[in-house]
Amino acid sequence: MASIVSATIVPPSLVGLHLRPNLFISELRTKKKPSVLEELANAAAAAGLTRSPEALVDGLRRREALGSTGIGKGIAVPHVRSTLVSERAVLVARSTKGVEFDSLDGEPVHLCFLIVAPPIERDPIYLKLVAEIVRAVRLARTRQKLLEAPGFGPLKTILVEASRD
Amino acid sequence: MTDTDLMEALVQLQDIDVLLREVKDPEMSSEEERLGFHLDNVETLEKSRRRVASQIDEKLLQTYERMSRRFARVVVPVQGTMCAGCRMSLPTASSRTGFASATVEHCENCGRILYRR
Repeated sequence: MASIVSATIVPPSLVGLHLRPNLFISELRTKKKPSVLEELANAAAAAGLTRSPEALVDGLRRREALGSTGIGKGIAVPHVRSTLVSERAVLVARSTKGVEFDSLDGEPVHLCFLIVAPPIERDPIYLKLVAEIVRAVRLARTRQKLLEAPGFGPLKTILVEASRD
Repeated sequence: MTDTDLMEALVQLQDIDVLLREVKDPEMSSEEERLGFHLDNVETLEKSRRRVASQIDEKLLQTYERMSRRFARVVVPVQGTMCAGCRMSLPTASSRTGFASATVEHCENCGRILYRR
């Protein structure tokens, strides 16, 4: 008699789909929010996401002026949709010592997830991506593992698994 | 103002408008709040918008405002030889409109303003 094998279909992780090795800063060089935003924008430009890092920095600064995206527990999720960004992407940046980011809890930021996207007419994925990242890093042990990950590959694995929890 | 400066001002204006729409959209703003992001100081953003808009030729600004009632993105980059708005290939000779201070290029298919860099 034929047996029925059930397979669990695991939906793709939104975060996993948007991570790339050239969108990873293992250790931020800068220490304060304004220059951190520039470092992130320059890295996005180097990865081909935009030809205008200056416009991206302007957009990020405008977004931060509405309210810091440093949401506490060492996490910042600066996110912006910008005309000169070519595709939706996530850039992950770490800082062992922490950077000043005007966070809600006043603490330094150790993990930064820059999310950029072009301002296309209907993009329900953009905020879902932000939500997935915020949820993925809610546990202290996940944040610690991300900080200790030896490189992009292991970091991506940790983040994708955490986003599915 | 050079054509380049004008295009950059238009891009800035559009980016501010995108952010303003997000902040004023009840669904998006409540989702942001739910995720732990607070949205305040909208007046500062509106002030920035007025400042940027004042740098743009009045007729071009009216064109932008009129088109923004039709498209969420009025200004789009050229990607390769394609309009990023409608994805149509652009002809080699493009449609241009002259304003007092500069000229802008439009996609012949959708009419959007093209940004080349």
